[in-house]
Amino acid sequence: MTIGPITFAAPWALAALAALPLLFLVLRATPPAPRRVIFPPLRLLRGLQTDEQSRERAPLWLVLLRALMAALMILAFARPSLAPNAEASGRAAGATLLVIDDGWTSAPFWSEIRAAAFDAVAQAERANGSVSLLLTAPSLRPRDPAEALTPAQARSVVQRLEPHAWRPDRSDAAQRLAATSARFDRIVWLTDGLARPGDEAFDETLSGRGGVIARVPPQTANAVTGVRIGATGVEVDFARSANGAAQGAIAAQTADGRSLGAAQFRFGNGERATRAVIALPPEIAARAARVRIVGEQSAGGVRLLPGGADHPRVGLADEAAAGQPLRSDLYYVERALSPYASLQRGGVRALVEARVRAIILPDQSTLAADDLNALERWLDRGGLVVRFAGPRLANQAGPPLSVALREGARNLGGAIAWEEPQTLRPFETTSPFHGLAIPDDVFVRRMVLAEPGAETETRVWARLTDGAPIVTAAPHGQGLVVLYHVTGDPEWSDLPLSVLYVDMLRRTLAFSGQGESAAQRPDAAGPYAPALLLDGYGALNAPPRDAISVSPDLFSAASAGPRAPPGLYQRAGIAAALDAAAPAEALEALQLPRSVQRMATDGPRTRPLTGLLLGAAFLALALDLLLSLALVGRLPKLARAGAAALLFVIAFPAHDAHAQARTDDPTLILRLAYARTGEESTDRTSRDGLAVLSAVLRQRTAVEPGEPIGVDLARDDLSIYPFIYWAAPARPQRLSSDAIANLDRYMRLGGMLLLDTRDAGRASGNTNRPAAVMLAGLNAPPLEEVNTDHVVARAFYLMRAFPGRAARTQLWTETGSAAAARDGVASLFVGNGDWAAAWAGTAPVSARQRELSLRFGVNIVMVALTGNYKTDLVHQAATLERLERQR
Amino acid sequence: MVQSDAERLSAGVGGALLEARRLASLAVGAHGRRRAGQGEGFWQYREHLPEDGARLVDWRRSARGDKLFVREREREAAQSLSLWIDPHPGFAWRSDETLPMKAQRAQVLCLALAIAFARGGERVGLLGGPMRRGSRAGDYLAEDLLAPQSSEPPAPPSRGAAIYASDFFAGPEAWRARLARAAAADCRGALILVSDPAEEDFPYAGRTQFRDPAGGKSHVLIGRAEHARDAFAQRLKAHRAQMHDLARGFGFLFFAHRTDHTPAPTFSAVLAALAGHGG
Repeated sequence: MTIGPITFAAPWALAALAALPLLFLVLRATPPAPRRVIFPPLRLLRGLQTDEQSRERAPLWLVLLRALMAALMILAFARPSLAPNAEASGRAAGATLLVIDDGWTSAPFWSEIRAAAFDAVAQAERANGSVSLLLTAPSLRPRDPAEALTPAQARSVVQRLEPHAWRPDRSDAAQRLAATSARFDRIVWLTDGLARPGDEAFDETLSGRGGVIARVPPQTANAVTGVRIGATGVEVDFARSANGAAQGAIAAQTADGRSLGAAQFRFGNGERATRAVIALPPEIAARAARVRIVGEQSAGGVRLLPGGADHPRVGLADEAAAGQPLRSDLYYVERALSPYASLQRGGVRALVEARVRAIILPDQSTLAADDLNALERWLDRGGLVVRFAGPRLANQAGPPLSVALREGARNLGGAIAWEEPQTLRPFETTSPFHGLAIPDDVFVRRMVLAEPGAETETRVWARLTDGAPIVTAAPHGQGLVVLYHVTGDPEWSDLPLSVLYVDMLRRTLAFSGQGESAAQRPDAAGPYAPALLLDGYGALNAPPRDAISVSPDLFSAASAGPRAPPGLYQRAGIAAALDAAAPAEALEALQLPRSVQRMATDGPRTRPLTGLLLGAAFLALALDLLLSLALVGRLPKLARAGAAALLFVIAFPAHDAHAQARTDDPTLILRLAYARTGEESTDRTSRDGLAVLSAVLRQRTAVEPGEPIGVDLARDDLSIYPFIYWAAPARPQRLSSDAIANLDRYMRLGGMLLLDTRDAGRASGNTNRPAAVMLAGLNAPPLEEVNTDHVVARAFYLMRAFPGRAARTQLWTETGSAAAARDGVASLFVGNGDWAAAWAGTAPVSARQRELSLRFGVNIVMVALTGNYKTDLVHQAATLERLERQR
Repeated sequence: MVQSDAERLSAGVGGALLEARRLASLAVGAHGRRRAGQGEGFWQYREHLPEDGARLVDWRRSARGDKLFVREREREAAQSLSLWIDPHPGFAWRSDETLPMKAQRAQVLCLALAIAFARGGERVGLLGGPMRRGSRAGDYLAEDLLAPQSSEPPAPPSRGAAIYASDFFAGPEAWRARLARAAAADCRGALILVSDPAEEDFPYAGRTQFRDPAGGKSHVLIGRAEHARDAFAQRLKAHRAQMHDLARGFGFLFFAHRTDHTPAPTFSAVLAALAGHGG
């Protein structure tokens, strides 16, 4: 059933809406459940008349909410869905033909295509129709477009459908469709948006079979049409259609998928092709195995570089470390191979032990016996030896060799030679070098000659124009020995100066490290066997067991298709690539005839509303629960807690709370503290004095205290203040028991308390001894008078006296033995100097005396912070003396 | 099961006993009765004085020495204190977990009073149970509390003092009968009303069903409990006044105590009043 844009899958459930008014009445008559409490004075409540007691009805708004909830549920159970194109599908009763372009050009937006296909299937399902499928990309086993599937079958087919790694062939599809006589009520064409040859015929065939709706993607796929490793890096060519993305990124990857580098590509306005360069050093660029458009998954966005797939470790046998680089065989080999192999120089045995995959032997007559043994064992296990000839080999040829050699070298050309220098004969198809172009200007002037014979003939890889073997190869155990009958340097031939030299060496190295499989080395004349195949998304996968090999004749001409799927191929140990997008891949925007209705692929879809409605119903249920709680009277607590939490969140937003925590944290800033005595003037003097002392400390020492702070000895946590100055008030009081416990703990933890009785220079002998009163009850340690040997006299300044307001003061401190538990660091100083007044400058003292009192302040703070650290210096003289004596 | 119940109960009573002892220690010197007087029990021997008649000489003791001795007997306490704690399930109730039950508080108060009285040499006991005396009276009484009590208080021993701790929600008529029985035995004493704060403040709101603590089906449903607060307060006040009058009419003192207050003031008041009242 369809109402406007909404269709109902189970419209009969809507009949329950008729029962809503009844529900409304029932709900209205049912009051919410009461809260139950046990109440002993029940008797007193009996017969209590309250005005609300009679009102046993649920409030109207609650009933409305519940009725709404029920309505939402009923609607949800009717399984509605919002289908804006339901009108279009309304007439689509009967058979639907689903045409899908399932080439790599659809891969970047395959999920949209699949969703659109599901949508079409769902519409067919609503119309009780059948679905046929026409897939335009060629396939070895094409699907019959006349086969009518049920929507469920069609859905499972579409579910499994994946794009191919080649492009659609619409003329082939048109033929397949033409071969049937099926007619359709509706044809939905999910296209890749790109033109192909034979589109007109295809459109005609489709239109002849029913009304066509084409769903066109807003943006078509881009393709990488070429890649080359140049001097500046990896150069990549791109093509796009008029509807293709104007820019993107390209990445170069190694064979195992690591990214080497990336670049942006950008098409100019209206441009259809562009080029980007991934800037890489040549030796890095040579390791690139493929390039890939980033963020667009399609086989056409990938280009394979078969040369980079392998990067063998090759050893250069270099016993003597040749002195002249330009005249050394190995110099040319190294230059030729360094982009394609990781090279290592060293003695033969060292190279064998280093497990290189190939060893290149420069001109050498015989190998040392040890080296030869090691080399032959390694060859037996599957090694590859590439040997170059030269005067020494011509003189005496020792193993390993591929063919028997005649002694001496053959001279071609020159003053006393009969023959002219010769060039190479084109490579035979059996040769691994087959297909390499031979430059005209490569001449061989000297070479070593193989003993002719039947055996020699089978071992030739390359010949001169007169048929003399120039490259021969022979198996040795599981390994292979390849002999170049010329030198590795340009002495005997031009070969090391040509590009052919590089290609030949690379193809030779393709035989390296194959170990046990060397016996089953592919026949040089065999077809290209797939090694890794691209899927439609551009991912490389192992080929299926029934993968088809491609014959060499077809390979170079082959374009990607079901008979030649793109990917990496191997032939005679040589990797070759077949790409999804041809070098001249034509990407043209699809032109649709007027008769075809056009819609975007990612256009409006059918959206099921059941979840939405059920969600709303459950939200209403939750709200109802809260409101019921409120009615029963249980909400206030919850509400209060919630409101408190809300307030907390509002009042302390996260960052503010953080900032506040930082500034309020007393452990972050060192502060000098003074004990609040309750007497305004005393406290003010203490605070001012400590403020001055803090400033002096900041100015002169590494101690940088913050503003001084007053502490309540009874209540505050003292442990965070290293130094507390406690000035005696005019009328000292005994401490409360809380304060005593707090101070005891503070001193036990190692804090420092300076108790200032402030009565220096006043009439002595008064019976009112403030210290005795103030320390009464405290677990005060035994005290001794501080002399100039004490650490407080040395901690920063050297001091003889500790003047405060009076020049002569007394200072007492905990005896060392009493403080033994704290390593002798005193935690209590008692003095009478009224130092705070002197520091603050409120006391009438001379500048010199004030300075001295400040020095005392600096010292005592130092003692508080460093403990007995400076005590060592106290004994320095004695220590030095003792050291002197030992010497 | 029974044993664990008993342990739990005894732990509760033990706690009450501890609290009661602490409470009773407040009553220092309030009650001293240890003096010679007319009684049954032996008190002390003292030397015979000339003013004592020959009749008072305890010859048995005197024969053992040269001096004459007089045997004195302890002055018998005129009072015995009987206690009754309401066993109604509604009394063993609290509105909040943080509060003690009304019955628990009543136990503490009664035990404390009993200990204080026992220290004064008087006999204490539960209504209908054995009378205890001496320093361990509190322990015995705590044990007695473990036994189930009769829901209807038996008549107290004659000429004693009685303390009834209850919430008095049994109704004035029931209590009139109970107090009449006590008065008939020439017994005076005190009523201690222990109430839960919820019973006085009526903190309920919303649609509430009030149920009988004794179980049963009877309940009262109030649509908006907060609107019934004032009416309930008036009824409660009337109920209090009624009980107060009733108590005074039978010569009983009336004390009210809330479980969220400390028991000390009530204890002191009851002790002072009873000491003055009876002895």
